[in-house]
Amino acid sequence: MIDAPHSTRFEELLPVYALGALDADDLREMEEHWAGGCGECRRQLELWNRDLEALAAAVTPVAPSETTRARILRFAAGAAPSPRRLPWWISLAAAALLAVAVWGVAGQLRMRGDIERLKTERNSLARQVERLDREVTQARTEAQRASQALQVVAAPGVQSVTLAGMGPAPQAAGHTYVNPLRHDALFFAFDLPALPQNKTYQLWYIAGGKAVSAGTFAMDPRGMASVKVEQLPALASIQKWAVTIEPAGGVPQPTGLMVLKS
Amino acid sequence: MDETEKEDLQLMSRVATRDGVAFTRLFELHAPVTLGLLSRILARRMEAEEVLQEVFLQVWTQADRYDAERSTPRGWILMLARSRALDRLRRRDASRRREEIVVGEQAGTVPPVGTERIEGAERQHQVDSALKALSAEQRRCIELAFFEGLTHTQIAERLEAPLGTVKSRILLGMNKLRQALSAQL
Repeated sequence: MIDAPHSTRFEELLPVYALGALDADDLREMEEHWAGGCGECRRQLELWNRDLEALAAAVTPVAPSETTRARILRFAAGAAPSPRRLPWWISLAAAALLAVAVWGVAGQLRMRGDIERLKTERNSLARQVERLDREVTQARTEAQRASQALQVVAAPGVQSVTLAGMGPAPQAAGHTYVNPLRHDALFFAFDLPALPQNKTYQLWYIAGGKAVSAGTFAMDPRGMASVKVEQLPALASIQKWAVTIEPAGGVPQPTGLMVLKS
Repeated sequence: MDETEKEDLQLMSRVATRDGVAFTRLFELHAPVTLGLLSRILARRMEAEEVLQEVFLQVWTQADRYDAERSTPRGWILMLARSRALDRLRRRDASRRREEIVVGEQAGTVPPVGTERIEGAERQHQVDSALKALSAEQRRCIELAFFEGLTHTQIAERLEAPLGTVKSRILLGMNKLRQALSAQL
């Protein structure tokens, strides 16, 4: 196939293509031309996208609710700016070198008071290294969790179900993102209160009138929790989602207080 | 490139290194307009806020995939939001939505707020003026495509107008919009 050269025909199709409003033969024609890598079309499409950005940004701004704002900013809560994200071994090596230097100087000084002070500093540095190590581990876990979440949430065909807080947790909320092709789901809970050690939250889905356990979970210190649900039945057969408070370890059928339901 | 775009680009590159402070700033700058766009498309405040969470989760986890050659950071965020909102809209019963738009508008459920950047309000005024330069039919066609995700064939069906007429309304409208925006810059 010989690619069609750039022409006024494509200049007419481009703004409609940018809008996403082309279909049928016009869309095929534009995509075939696009696949040929027309530089002029690429340049013009960028200009049209700028115009559409202006159109999108001309809407009346709406302030997110405090709840939404807090939930979104929790994604990044605790994440360290890049200068602090040194590999853990650099922190450890730096602390070790400093400790050696400290000990060397102490040997030269031969002063007991200084040695004690330097020991204290060394211990403090060791604690800092431990803390940084924990932060890096936590950041990696968060990044892994966010990446897994995105794979589910952003997959084509994913459907979301909202669970509203009730009973002792009216402020709480939950969202289940169901992937009907892979028969799995990712559930997020927000703002449920922490439970005593002998209790747990348990997620359920109701299919064919029967409650099926989808796992137990505890809220993290930021008031968030997530549960990956595997081997779901067909989406159409799931009528409801719910969360109850149950004895630690979970139960085969719900017995406790319901705190979230769709 | 203006100063605001420069700041946005710096923030994006910092978010790509998982800088939570930069993410917070990016959110404060762009969440109100993004939620405005989502509310306009979805006409349901709660659902719009849910999609806002999805959009910013995507920004947080995929900032390293942002390509400055293809769009501005604001354009990238807004187009992510539009795409997600239109996906939701397509899954929804159209007649139910139309009823809710009317109810939502009457109830005034989406309170407007000011934007932090003054030029945002000026730009909004410029685009409003540019849209007024279009005929009502041209504006309607563009809005149906942009805010409801309809193709030109679907717009022709919705408006019961010939396809050729719809095509020419969109093309003329988009060109007028460009001219009006260029003239104001």
